Amino acid sequence: METAVLILLLVIALALFFDFTNGFHDTANAMATPIATGALKPKVAVLLAAGLNLVGAFLSTEVAKTVSHGIIHEDQLEATALLPLIFAGLIGAITWNMLTWLLGLPSSSSHALFGGLIGATLVGVGAMAIDFGVVLSKIILPALIAPVTAGIIAFTVTKVAYAITRRHDGKPDGRDGFRWGQIFTSSLVALAHGTNDAQKTMGVITLALIAAGWQSAEHAEPQLWVIVACAVTIALGTYMGGWRIIRTLGKGLTDVKPAQGFSAEASTASTILASSALGFALSTTQVASGSVIGSGLGRRGSTVRWRTVGRIAIGWLLTLPASGAVGALAALLVVWLGPVGIVIDAVLAVVIVLALFLRSRRDEVHAGNAMSEVADSGHAVDVPADPPPTRRQRRATAAAKASDAEGER
Amino acid sequence: MSVSIDWFAFVQVFAAAIAAAVLVVGFYALGLRMLVRAGRVPVVTPAEFTDAIAVISEKQARRHAKAAAKAAKKNPLTPAQKSVALVGAYAAFALCAVAVLGGIVLIVAGR
Repeated sequence: METAVLILLLVIALALFFDFTNGFHDTANAMATPIATGALKPKVAVLLAAGLNLVGAFLSTEVAKTVSHGIIHEDQLEATALLPLIFAGLIGAITWNMLTWLLGLPSSSSHALFGGLIGATLVGVGAMAIDFGVVLSKIILPALIAPVTAGIIAFTVTKVAYAITRRHDGKPDGRDGFRWGQIFTSSLVALAHGTNDAQKTMGVITLALIAAGWQSAEHAEPQLWVIVACAVTIALGTYMGGWRIIRTLGKGLTDVKPAQGFSAEASTASTILASSALGFALSTTQVASGSVIGSGLGRRGSTVRWRTVGRIAIGWLLTLPASGAVGALAALLVVWLGPVGIVIDAVLAVVIVLALFLRSRRDEVHAGNAMSEVADSGHAVDVPADPPPTRRQRRATAAAKASDAEGER
Repeated sequence: MSVSIDWFAFVQVFAAAIAAAVLVVGFYALGLRMLVRAGRVPVVTPAEFTDAIAVISEKQARRHAKAAAKAAKKNPLTPAQKSVALVGAYAAFALCAVAVLGGIVLIVAGR
């Protein structure tokens, strides 16, 4: 029993660490655009993001229930078997996260988490322990669909925003005012981040508690202390992560106009919030990237740089299987070596955490290790400085030409 | 093992998200449009300039403010029409806020 308690504590510690890195990594999703267009002062933006992440984590626990209750048939497994597997899955997730971070590959912390858990369970118990229906309908399909959905929505609302504020007489169009609006939309994105990302860690901790028999499987909702711990951790991570992003942001977003940023953020926030309410666990990073690309396409005359889009998409698709493989390896150690395997895994985890810490302490910040992926996806769309005329403008120029010709005659 | 996928849920998410986004962005844009019509063109200088981001320079901001003032002076609307537009602008912003709050209430109440 003592070993079970020890592993449980390790799982909770690792899960909270994962939560922290998640917040650390994702501040940029919410706050890169308002800082870049100058809507918010960096300090204010980071504080706001941290606070709203905290609030968002309390708003809805649907996603946590998906993780703790849906993916793994925890009721069919023995507690002593499941706990080390959750542990192995977490190690898989953190390892993959760190690898992609070091290599500058775009990836998703959420998918790393799920990949790790699924991989470890597959190896440790077998396919029958995983509810593929839930995995498919609440994780894999949302992962594929959500960025596209967000892109379509962002495209639509960008068109709407530009169409409503367009003026044909060349007078000021007031689009500067979207900069005020961005303060609210980016706050909503931070809130949405809390309702989806903090939940994943809550789900894992709750799953571990159920596996250890400290919580009954019928009541899969996270307990209050779990919610508070996760909310505070992700808020702390968001706050700490912000400073790094601010330093590097200058190289990130190039040409996001206030109207476009406003639309992209409105789309991101509404997609994530609607998904959270139904318990879909999606990657906030991918949704935000999809929105940025979609809103770029919503501007006149823009073209897609398919090479960049492809690079981003491959990183996304790779995450689930790759972190699954790492999780499976960690689980293999446990299956083959028993308690010794757990010790080896724990040592590995400590090494990875330390390496991550040292890496973040190193002052060198360049595009490869610290740039926001969302900002990066802005480069996937090429927007000309001088957009082609709208239909109405073409008609106006044609009419002007015709009247000129009339006047000369 | 039967794998059942709730496709309707995806439709629901898409419909809810696009409706919310269009409402919020539409009303906000409408509010800005009315604000401009009322002769109060918002000129929002960025809160702080971070290096290497070409957002809008102070010179540009000054030029925008000048253009806005000029446009306001030449505004052909009567004071009554202007105040109607202003009220409309605030109403649109309020509707936008109501849409956001309503969405959040729906999520919290729906759990």
